Amino acid sequence: MTSAFAVDRAFAAIAFKRRLAYKAQWVVALVLGGGAMLVSMAMWRELLAGGALSGYDWDSMRAYIIIGFVTATVVFGAADWQVADRILDGHIAVDLTKPVDFQRARAAEYIGSMVSTVPTVLVGVLGAWLLFDPPGPATPLAGLLTAVSFVLVFPLAFGLTYLTVLVCFWTKRYLGVMWLREALLGFFSGMVIPLAFMPSWLQAVAWALPFPHFTTTPAAIYLGRVDTAGALGLLAAEAAWTLGLWFGARIVFNHAVKKVTVHGG
Amino acid sequence: MADTLTPDRLTARHVGAVYRRALLAQIRAITEYPGDFWVMASAGVMWNVLQFAFLTVLFAAVPEVAGWRYHEMLMLSGLLTVAAGSTAILCDGIWSTGQMVLKGEIDYRMTRPAPVVVQVATTHIGMQGFGEVGFGLVMVAYGWIGAGLGPASLPLVLLGIVCAVVIECALITLFCAVNFWIKGPMSNFAFVMLDLQHHAMTMPLGLFPIGVKVVTMFVVPVAFVNFVPVAALSGHLAPWWVIGMPVAAAASVLAALGVYRLGLRSYDSSGH
Repeated sequence: MTSAFAVDRAFAAIAFKRRLAYKAQWVVALVLGGGAMLVSMAMWRELLAGGALSGYDWDSMRAYIIIGFVTATVVFGAADWQVADRILDGHIAVDLTKPVDFQRARAAEYIGSMVSTVPTVLVGVLGAWLLFDPPGPATPLAGLLTAVSFVLVFPLAFGLTYLTVLVCFWTKRYLGVMWLREALLGFFSGMVIPLAFMPSWLQAVAWALPFPHFTTTPAAIYLGRVDTAGALGLLAAEAAWTLGLWFGARIVFNHAVKKVTVHGG
Repeated sequence: MADTLTPDRLTARHVGAVYRRALLAQIRAITEYPGDFWVMASAGVMWNVLQFAFLTVLFAAVPEVAGWRYHEMLMLSGLLTVAAGSTAILCDGIWSTGQMVLKGEIDYRMTRPAPVVVQVATTHIGMQGFGEVGFGLVMVAYGWIGAGLGPASLPLVLLGIVCAVVIECALITLFCAVNFWIKGPMSNFAFVMLDLQHHAMTMPLGLFPIGVKVVTMFVVPVAFVNFVPVAALSGHLAPWWVIGMPVAAAASVLAALGVYRLGLRSYDSSGH
């Protein structure tokens, strides 16, 4: 058991160090995430100057946008290409001969790469806090449960990403698959616009998917839009999606691996 | 004989023929992988369907953003999408500049009788561009009709599209050329420009401080890709601003070619 966790830790540490080696990526991520955050702030400040819209006033929107920045930076900054490339360039053939579980090893690597985005998040949040002075969590317990929701985003993001990366067994490129996933994630998570602005049928579609747990769930808990029971329910749904995607990916992998193509025969 | 052509004899006709044949070869290559083509084209469409959905949801709650109405904002997003999608079709290979510089792959292209920038630009086609251009044109047309702009404005719309494509291709080329000096496999400067453009330039410039307006109009003229043409068409800017569109296009092309040429001069291959 300890040995298995040691392998996970080793994979995570290697992925973390590999990402740290490319320090320019920190700056790029900060500029991209920070730029998107500033544009959102400018737009919503203008729109909310006359009062609240769909239950959001300028105070709550500032906190909402910063929460969106945190999850976007962590999720979009992870090393999904590294997993895809192992399938596309045939390295998976070697991986399958190793005495480690392929999915678990990739999960450790992916989460290690997500952790490497934390410095970018910290700098971005600190800057945003100084510039925009957002409100704190509704209650200390809400703050704690928001942190739990953020922690669950790590395995949830892996499950979603891994499941979509497995499409590379059928396609020979990953870029389009990645864009499709990121577009859907950005919209249905509420990163682009809060779900409360959407018509009820579109909100129902969003809540039938795992995406809202990337932004709407932590924001709803943080801003006190749900009580403690509601927050625990949202966290339970987030955890259920994490488990569902994990085991769903195992089933898909067992079918997909039969399609593996290794150059050179 | 083509292989005896010296740079002095590289006529526009010859360069155009090389460009056309290289691009057609790429199109033939991508048709060998129809699954990938459809995934990429769908991804290009999906981004814009969701941008369309975002604007529709937003404008169900507010009548305007900084004085801009729904159909004008659709044109703003649509024109940027057409421009960005066109670069993926016309010069997507330029994103490989950094990779080629690192690996010394420019050497081989310098020995051939065609401009290096043309050869690099045509090494790849971004298949998402087909979806982006198609759906972007739908957004522009829908916005144009919805905004009540008559057929008289059609020549201006066409001029706006042509200038937008030229400016976008030139600016991406320019920022990818930065990799001649700042070495790295990723074209971070071009990527940052494109990403910030997709966030900021799909909004009215009136939302931002004066510094952003000055930079986007006169330093890195991304405002002339979509903001200026749509603002001039819809009356947010005086009509004489349209003169700036071909001027910005010409200036961007000259700057891009100049920077790329300077980059080639400083290129010292790999392993030295």
